[in-house]
Amino acid sequence: MVGDELDALQGKYEGCTALAFADLSTKMILVTDSRSNLPREALDSLCAEAVLLLGGKGKPALAEKPGKMASVATSGQLRVFLRSEQEPNDVLCCICGPMMDADAFIADAQACLSVISGDD
Amino acid sequence: MSESDGLTQRLALLAMPVKVDKTGARAISENGAPAPVAAILGEIDNTVLERCLVFDCGPVTVSIIAAGRRLRGIFSVSPQNDAAIIGQVLSREEPEALQAAHDLLLECCGGAGRVAVRSTPAEAFGQGGERGVSATGLAELWDVALDIAPKPPVEQFLSVNAAAFSSVLHVRKGEIILTEGDFEALQSIWSTQVEAFRKAHKKTIRGEEGAQLICLNGAFEDGSSVAMVLYEDDIVLVACGADSFGAMQSSWHRIFA
Repeated sequence: MVGDELDALQGKYEGCTALAFADLSTKMILVTDSRSNLPREALDSLCAEAVLLLGGKGKPALAEKPGKMASVATSGQLRVFLRSEQEPNDVLCCICGPMMDADAFIADAQACLSVISGDD
Repeated sequence: MSESDGLTQRLALLAMPVKVDKTGARAISENGAPAPVAAILGEIDNTVLERCLVFDCGPVTVSIIAAGRRLRGIFSVSPQNDAAIIGQVLSREEPEALQAAHDLLLECCGGAGRVAVRSTPAEAFGQGGERGVSATGLAELWDVALDIAPKPPVEQFLSVNAAAFSSVLHVRKGEIILTEGDFEALQSIWSTQVEAFRKAHKKTIRGEEGAQLICLNGAFEDGSSVAMVLYEDDIVLVACGADSFGAMQSSWHRIFA
């Protein structure tokens, strides 16, 4: 079920290369989309980055408070981390290519997370 | 401009990454930096063999004939424009024609958010002996600063997104080199959090280096976001609204990809 939601989001964006649903409290990736096939180490790194950027224990990475969304853009990649509104430990981790309509993707990714996390 | 300044500028231009889009056009001006007419004159100044330079300026395309670092004339404008100067060879003897050429370039390109150029084979234009006017001469006549050395990537990024930032703290090699707006909160982040964050982040990404734009939405109590640019010796912290996310990402990838 969760995998289907992830697959649907990934299918909509050609530039989206991997999606993973994670739990911040256990620091674990729970489900990924079916196509990305990331190795365990890459998933662990992705989850660790989510924990750091979204402030795993309520401690902000930078500034004053942990936010609902964080991202890291490099020269060839955009990684986005979204926190669920209702379940603050539910996080969607996204790896995208650089040429994405970031605003449109974020809106759809937020909607996807709401469904997965049971916000809707 | 002295000869050594000119040489320095030319070397800086050559060192910049060339951004060519799918149509083969190369961006020479984005968001007014450098000014479109200055950018066009810069291209003419770089053109030695006779070429038709096609400038895409948003919905308008202007084709000019350049050779020997001189503008021979404006070959065509699309959509069609009835300006009499189109098709005329320019000459210093005809200042009104030069003014008309300047007016037309300003009209077509002056307000363009992005200007890109394609160099195509020359078209038949005027007589062989009609050489046109040098780019530097036109810059002088039109009062255009031909100082078009592109800004370094970080400065480009800051300039393109300036309107979205409420405060900026720019650090190079550990020294604060620029502050804008109410930067106290950024200074506090810089002095108390950045080092530990970078160490922890490096661990998670297993040493990945290179240019990075890290955005933390809603990281301030007032709901605004913080973003950090990391590039070579530069670290820039900015405070911004969450609604600038998409535009920032898009400009980041244009500049750093």
